[in-house]
Amino acid sequence: MRYLPLAPSEDRALLDVIGVDRAEDLLKSIPEALRLNRGLELPPHASELDVLRTMEGLAGANRPFRSRFLGAGAYSHYIPAAVDHLASRQEWFTSYTPYQPEISQGTLQAIFEYQTMICDLTGLEVTNASMYDGATAAAEAALMGLRLNRHRGTVLASEGLHPHTLEVIRTFLAPREGLALVEVSLKDGLTDPEDLRAKLSEDVACVLVGYPNFLGCVEDLQALAEPIHAAGALLVSVTQEALAFGWLEAPGHVGADLAAGEAMSFGNRTSFGGPFLGFLAARDSGKREMPGRLIGQTHDADGRPGCVLTLASREQHIRRERATSNICSNQALIALRANIFLQLAGPEGLRGLAEQNAAKAQYLREKLLDSGCFEPLWEAPFFNEFALRCQGDVEALQHACREAGFQPGLDLGPYGWDGAVLWCATELNTREDMDRLAEVLGALPC
Amino acid sequence: MLNRNREPLIFESSVVGKVGMDLPHLDVPEARDTRPEHLRRGPFQALPSVSEVEVIRHFTRLSHDNYGVDDGIYPLGSCTMKHNPRLNERVASLPAFAESHPLSAQEDVQGNLAALFMLQEWLKEITGLAAVTLQPSAGASGELTGVMLIRAHHVAQGASRRVILTPDSAHGTNPATAAMAGYEVVEVPSAPDGTISFEDVVDHTGKHHPGLISLVETLGAEIAGAMITNPNTLGVFEHRIQEVADLLHGIGALLYMDGANMNALVGVARPGDFGVDVMHLNLHKTFSTPHGGGGPGAGPVACTAQLEPFLPRPVVVRDGSGYRMDWDRRQSIGKVHGFFGNFGIAIRALTYCLSHGGDGLRAATLRAIVNANYLRRRLEGTYHLPIQSPTLHEVVFNDALLSSAGVHTLDVAKGLIDRGFHPPTIYFPLIVPGALMIEPTESESKAELDAFVAALEDIARQAQSDPEALHRAPVRAPLRRMDETTAARKPVLRWTGFRPQ
Repeated sequence: MRYLPLAPSEDRALLDVIGVDRAEDLLKSIPEALRLNRGLELPPHASELDVLRTMEGLAGANRPFRSRFLGAGAYSHYIPAAVDHLASRQEWFTSYTPYQPEISQGTLQAIFEYQTMICDLTGLEVTNASMYDGATAAAEAALMGLRLNRHRGTVLASEGLHPHTLEVIRTFLAPREGLALVEVSLKDGLTDPEDLRAKLSEDVACVLVGYPNFLGCVEDLQALAEPIHAAGALLVSVTQEALAFGWLEAPGHVGADLAAGEAMSFGNRTSFGGPFLGFLAARDSGKREMPGRLIGQTHDADGRPGCVLTLASREQHIRRERATSNICSNQALIALRANIFLQLAGPEGLRGLAEQNAAKAQYLREKLLDSGCFEPLWEAPFFNEFALRCQGDVEALQHACREAGFQPGLDLGPYGWDGAVLWCATELNTREDMDRLAEVLGALPC
Repeated sequence: MLNRNREPLIFESSVVGKVGMDLPHLDVPEARDTRPEHLRRGPFQALPSVSEVEVIRHFTRLSHDNYGVDDGIYPLGSCTMKHNPRLNERVASLPAFAESHPLSAQEDVQGNLAALFMLQEWLKEITGLAAVTLQPSAGASGELTGVMLIRAHHVAQGASRRVILTPDSAHGTNPATAAMAGYEVVEVPSAPDGTISFEDVVDHTGKHHPGLISLVETLGAEIAGAMITNPNTLGVFEHRIQEVADLLHGIGALLYMDGANMNALVGVARPGDFGVDVMHLNLHKTFSTPHGGGGPGAGPVACTAQLEPFLPRPVVVRDGSGYRMDWDRRQSIGKVHGFFGNFGIAIRALTYCLSHGGDGLRAATLRAIVNANYLRRRLEGTYHLPIQSPTLHEVVFNDALLSSAGVHTLDVAKGLIDRGFHPPTIYFPLIVPGALMIEPTESESKAELDAFVAALEDIARQAQSDPEALHRAPVRAPLRRMDETTAARKPVLRWTGFRPQ
């Protein structure tokens, strides 16, 4: 077995020092009746080449596409070569949580820089070292909102959140007694201000709103913030496509008190939905209620600047059942990739890339409308994603797209919008592909 | 590689006009500006303007300040890092896996579903349990999922129970998780041999702590379950685990096993065979997936058939025509991740499993136990061994033999850094004052173990001859000891050196 440094003579030496005949003698503390008295019913060990063939065989059962028009929480973007090269350095990917700051300054400083940029993107002052993904970040944001607004027990969530995010929030809140999750309905693709006003009360701790929302529509956070703040509640923006921060104003600058979301778009692949990158940012006054790892700057015994894990008294290993969360392992390597991506992009790159995404999505929307297969659902502004009503059979349309090598937009039928399809375009979708897609759809009997 | 000076923050290298990414040619008309005026993105304050060269050098120089498992032994007890095989990385980056979309039509991702199903089957055989979900993102996420399954089970029985028992040797995530799942935490004391105490315990201050039997008698039907790490955080197998399970089951409560230390049991004993109802596994520990400086991990949960209906949805199933995601799970606790968990990590773990096979997995477990016992035997006497019970994959020493010289656990850790080693987990478990919790894993050769022992022996000698030198350590690392008090008292959590716009 190539991963085990086993040599019979050395094994003998180790066992002799321990004073046992066989390794199995060290299992005596496990009562015999509880031991497995047979081998595992699993195939035997295999060479690298054989394992690679098996796994390539599985990978080969997935269908490849020449172009993808599917977003809905997982976005395909170009990944600069430097991201893969740097992140595959062993110093980054084989290191553990930076418990020993003197030999972990690489990870610590990288996270400090990452925290700085997430704060910049969200217009807020504190963020942690990362959360599992956008959905769990939103759920933790709801819990944090409840802690910050201690005597209130209701969370309002716009129906415009990703349905999976809503389900994760529901799962997280369900076991807590006395807490309620109430959904605010949509009108013309946006959170309905009247329904919001009707549901705000003195018991509402926070309100979660998509920015842009699941349907791609850009919510006017500033307008929503007014009644929310008047009711003493906190506004939590939830962004499932963080590249939108290159196009849309930082949520913290237009009324959001907390910003949660998914930042996989920065240098990470869709990887069937994970590992992704959740972020959660807050105002400085919320830092002691923040879940997860926080990196802070300090100095060493010689006065040289460096970084450490800090404010650990919020965390499970110190505070145990009174911790802000149980999270410890997070998505550090994914955050590192985002960090590298954001440094390469810089302000100009991020803005430019976001503008290109908006341009591609606008072009795609026009082509799809021209194809005769679709009609608009609403006219709300959008970033790189938009929903249209399909004139014909959604299943047939999706089948035709896939046969032509295009991964189609998401059928919103199962999510409660019958006949609607959610399309996404990014810098990866060429004009040629979009034209061809429209041709394929135009040929359908819509 | 020698560093010139500390690498500055990237923001200090930023000069307006530099770019690290050229935009692709735009082949469609420029975007019309449809945003309301106040929602147009304003200026960035911190994002740096730097070239690709500078970014590459920045992250390369920073990386030199990190210790990774490729540098040598990483003996963090209970967190341990074993070797991260490179094949796993190659497989996870196959474009057909890495570029697949989570909301693809199921017939387009049969390979992904088959891989997830296969890993579930391996984990079922390894744990001896009936069902597995791969959705939890990390160990703590698995714990939360598992305790929610317990809760859902009781709710389905029409019972409301309020208490989760955790031993005093538990990882902090256990009580934190129980609280997140809406439970009150009651601590069970440890017996002198380090395992859960069935009898009441009187501590050195004279305080009385009810043991498991008393707790079960007094709390009875209030107890929803217990969370027990096995082997526990001392590396000791909870030899009465079956009795714990029987006691709990007798009052309708369930047994959760924290599988953080499952690397001591794979191929040797199966939790499903000793009464465990639900447990999590750490793929980033037992199954070799890299820890990436803090994550991503993955925390699959295995459970009995009784708890299966409550698993997070969707569940990957196989039927006549292939594999599919079953969303129609009426009793499901819901979702604990936006999609299906850390798929890329599951792929790495499956690759690890296929490489080892059933025989290799058992061999790895045995070697990990041999390595830990070799360190125990070599270091016993030089370092104090507070608990004498036989141990499996890890061993906990403390600083009792050095403290008369004024040298403490933290000094030992920093002394190891100066000798080129990553220190073990320190000051945990909490029940051992000054703990040094060492876990070598199966990845270490005899030569590496001997070098590690030599370093610890050298530190013990220096504790007597020159304790001040250890107080000053580390002196050979990129930085010396950090002022953590100031960091917590005056938190600086982001760079704010930008010029006001």
